Amino acid sequence: MNDALLDLNMFEDSYEKCLKCNACVASCPVTGATLDFGGPKHMGPELKRLIDNQQVIDDKRIEYCTLCGNCDLSCPEDVHISTLTTYAKAIHTEKHGSSFRDFVLSNAELVGKMASAFAPVTNTAMKMKPMRQVMETVMRIPKERKFPKYKFKNFNRSFANKVHGSKRKVAYFVGCYAMYNAPEVAESFVKVMNFNGIEVVKPRQKCCGVPMLANGRLKQARKNAAFNIDSLLEYTRKGYDVVTTCTSCGLALKKEYLSIDGSDKAKELAAHVYDADEYLRMLKDNGELNTHLAPMKQKVGYHAPCHMRAQGMGTPAMDILELIPGFNIYDLGAGCCGQCGTFGFKKEKYGISMKLGRTMAESVKNLDADYTVTECGMCKNQLDQLTDKEVRHPMQILAESYERAKQLQTV
Amino acid sequence: MKKALETEVAVIGGGVTGTGILRDLALRGIKAVLVEQGDLGHGTSTRNHGLLHSGCRYAVRDPEAAVESYQENLILKRTIPGSIEQTGGLFVKVPGDDDAYVRRWLDSCGKLGIPVGEIPLEQAFREEPYLTKEAQAVYQVPDGTIDDFTLLIDVAADAVAHGAALLTYHEVTGIMTEQNHVSGIHVRDTRNGEEQDIYAPIVINAAGPWGMNIAKMAGVPLRIINNKGMLVVFSHRFNKRVINRLRMPGDGDIFVPAHDVTIFGTTGKNTDDPNDFSLNREEMEQMLTTGADLIPEIHQMRLIRAYSGSRPLYQKTAGKGSSGRDVTRGMALLDHGERDGLDGLITITGGKLTTFRLMAERTVDLVCKKLGSDAQCTTREAALPSRKSTDSFSGANLAPAARHKLMNWAGVRTPEFETSLKDREAANVVCECEQVTWAEIDAAIPGDGHLDLGDIRRRTRLGMGPCQGTFCNFRTAALAVEHGKAGTREADCALMRGVKERRKGMGVVATGETAKQLQLMQTIYQVSLGFGNEEEKQHV
Repeated sequence: MNDALLDLNMFEDSYEKCLKCNACVASCPVTGATLDFGGPKHMGPELKRLIDNQQVIDDKRIEYCTLCGNCDLSCPEDVHISTLTTYAKAIHTEKHGSSFRDFVLSNAELVGKMASAFAPVTNTAMKMKPMRQVMETVMRIPKERKFPKYKFKNFNRSFANKVHGSKRKVAYFVGCYAMYNAPEVAESFVKVMNFNGIEVVKPRQKCCGVPMLANGRLKQARKNAAFNIDSLLEYTRKGYDVVTTCTSCGLALKKEYLSIDGSDKAKELAAHVYDADEYLRMLKDNGELNTHLAPMKQKVGYHAPCHMRAQGMGTPAMDILELIPGFNIYDLGAGCCGQCGTFGFKKEKYGISMKLGRTMAESVKNLDADYTVTECGMCKNQLDQLTDKEVRHPMQILAESYERAKQLQTV
Repeated sequence: MKKALETEVAVIGGGVTGTGILRDLALRGIKAVLVEQGDLGHGTSTRNHGLLHSGCRYAVRDPEAAVESYQENLILKRTIPGSIEQTGGLFVKVPGDDDAYVRRWLDSCGKLGIPVGEIPLEQAFREEPYLTKEAQAVYQVPDGTIDDFTLLIDVAADAVAHGAALLTYHEVTGIMTEQNHVSGIHVRDTRNGEEQDIYAPIVINAAGPWGMNIAKMAGVPLRIINNKGMLVVFSHRFNKRVINRLRMPGDGDIFVPAHDVTIFGTTGKNTDDPNDFSLNREEMEQMLTTGADLIPEIHQMRLIRAYSGSRPLYQKTAGKGSSGRDVTRGMALLDHGERDGLDGLITITGGKLTTFRLMAERTVDLVCKKLGSDAQCTTREAALPSRKSTDSFSGANLAPAARHKLMNWAGVRTPEFETSLKDREAANVVCECEQVTWAEIDAAIPGDGHLDLGDIRRRTRLGMGPCQGTFCNFRTAALAVEHGKAGTREADCALMRGVKERRKGMGVVATGETAKQLQLMQTIYQVSLGFGNEEEKQHV
């Protein structure tokens, strides 16, 4: 094990507080679906206690941990369970290396760059059965699994920083998904900010590192964290707020960097990071939010991503969308979607992924709303796979409402 | 009719001394019966540090005990590999400790032939990250650790395999004498009250702190100082090696890694009552303050329990004023025939866990002399089987942590567990802290209908982790009933005894997390399971 990992691992002593109460086990979506995972208590605090400053015990079952963070939320003792499982993943990968597939899946950014450069080809290829058969055989990526589409005109190509000196300034952490797969989300976010008179810049950024952590590639994730921290601090020190539209990126900047980087700089940054809806809710609380929202008579189901819940901020997306007149939003209350980032793209986890997604799919079906809304691109991927409803990001809905309101005014 | 038994030697006391004697007798072909009032190791033998001394600790003050310890250290590493972990040990000098002592210590270790080597501070800090960075010098010594639970069980099993008999939960109620010779002992089964006479021309008093009671029954004078020491258990094993403080031996200066925990101690206070296992919070806090000189984080670390036991120290002219620390750790072998005119009675006391084999050898040498036997001691060479298994239990569906534990635990029972673990349910981990499977617990429940969670704990490590049996004690009791190993009433009683015993050790350390753990445990047992009232009734 490398020294840095050892130090980090040493530093994390919250496992001592575990009372073995099983709250984390009861709240773990994966444990609910399969006994093949040892459960968060064992894979986190229990194992850590056995190996701290002692012989390492590598448990392959840690591959089943999706790092969803439900365990952290449930723990009455504030044991940093998902941090401990992150280290357990790193130890496992350190011992066994990662497969080519996991290497590819964890490199969302690199894949995004390449795939979007050849977007039409990529998207078509991903739908070709022989191609998918090869992928399943060679890479153990299930052929039934839908993939998010890549956009040639990614957000990098379309967006240019424009600075005109607004009171509030936002440094937008776009994230790989809105960058390469859903530039419309990023564009909607910029519009929403502009409707509020807030200028948006896009700092230099790398993948937040969450897919790397999920695949045990801690070293790479730490590199990215260090890069992003430095890059974003340049902005926060100039008075910018860092805002994300991806709840996993948000969780990384707010929480994961505190454990995998642990520096004072990481702490400094975390204090300036907001989820987009959370940011808007804060504007509203301060009386700064533009509330000229056009009515939208729609019935919508909201799916709360795990990494949104793990941020411990309530449900800001619902709070904000409810401001739209006539908008009826219902919490699907279905727990984890089962996609779990890269997890659901793996052949051996596909069954569990589908099993986990069933509750959500049923909930969507029962509600029978006009469409589904969620912040997370990966949750959207699972929703696309399992339901026939359209899936939108809250920023897309808000942007539409603002635009309609503007049209109504001009008319 | 009262039961009776005839043998050559009756051994009183199932601690390491008595058990070691039983094995030595058996290996020399002498018929023997051991009588123990509780389970094996009821007293001092499971209430200590579990330190395999290199002798260094006594090098300055008690060179004789130091040499004995070092020699036995080498023998035990060879002959009892299953219960010894060759961790090595460190002696650490911290600011304020006497430089002159260090010189005398090095000098004495050199003279006694105990290998001591200084190691660079950076290396020590790297290998023992919790060690104080204030350390001024660190020496490496051949200390090790002893698992007294497995030691007792393995030594006793070997004795039984060689024809000896073992009666646990039997207390001695009287010593039979004929004129100036002992002729046996009266015993009573503490669980069913049944009485029994054991006729034996030789009776060995290896009762440790209870030795004076035995002597009194026999009507011979004996003065033993029961020097009670308190120890605490940390929730995880934070040191790789034994960490000693390099100074004149005192309170709170040894940290011993033991399986998945670290044991720290100890204190020394004389007590008159051998059944005094009381714990004192103030005494513990003083000890922790001292310990912080070696391990600064000690106050932030979670303690899971405390326990105490008495060192039976023999002093020929025991003055009342002795504090205990200045009394020799050497052994005392008393021939009451020569000493007091009661032939056939032998007392063996004093000594150390590390020197138990030598104590047994010398005692049995005396027995042989009395019996006119020329059988030679073989325990210097005759090795007990190791506890390690090379087999990986690959046929069982086991978590790596549980497999890791079994591979350092199963030993000769590996084939037995290989078979039982094929049953998926048997491979279920019942005690999560210490990774104990049902297969191990099942094998530790005796067939005689007695269910005792403490007995199971000593044989499997059940409930020894941070939660102290909050969950696994109940699981075990319930599973025992489910598998027809105990009746409901018996399981209830066992559970209440077990929980009460765990609570006692937790109570004294109960601040912070352990206070919460205790509360959780009490809530589960008293509120959810409704055990509280019954327990009170039992106490009336």
